[in-house]
Amino acid sequence: MGVEIIFKIAAVGIITAVVNQVLKHANKEEIATLTTLAGLIVVLLMVLNLIGTLFDTVRTMFNL
Amino acid sequence: MDIFKIVGVGIITAITALIVKQIKPEVSVIITISGGIVMLLMLVESLTNIFGAFNSIVEKSGLSSGLFSTILKIIGVGYITEFSANLCSDAGASSIADKILLSGKIIILVLALPIVSNIIDIISGLLP
Repeated sequence: MGVEIIFKIAAVGIITAVVNQVLKHANKEEIATLTTLAGLIVVLLMVLNLIGTLFDTVRTMFNL
Repeated sequence: MDIFKIVGVGIITAITALIVKQIKPEVSVIITISGGIVMLLMLVESLTNIFGAFNSIVEKSGLSSGLFSTILKIIGVGYITEFSANLCSDAGASSIADKILLSGKIIILVLALPIVSNIIDIISGLLP
């Protein structure tokens, strides 16, 4: 729980962009859009996990 | 001091979001959100110390603990509403942020109702 989660998300974003470019040049357009989508979903799941921990912490702390 | 750690994470998040903005703009919004969450999770244990101190003060002063837990709930609801409203306006959906703020205010009002009625009963009891 620190800076590494931020670098992980940035890395996934950059890798998705690179793979997208490579696939575009290998003129496989549809696979390129799919990989972009998959990369975004992975990033969203990571953030979802973080938001879940934050909301649980706030719930236990403020006993909402 | 862990203030430097928290500020460090904030600066790193801002720079990483800036870098990734050219490559993939959606991911930069997500990086700002997750950076904010990481900074907040670092504050948790100092917040628990503060609430522990408040609890002991309230017990010593003999106030009804129900009052203090309602205040805590209101603080929690207010904080979560403000956090998600900022999150939505960061992501560019300012209309949704306004709706979240409105719903937060209404929920806080509902939480505060028993206290208000409590005060009114006390006042009406005082008057002849």
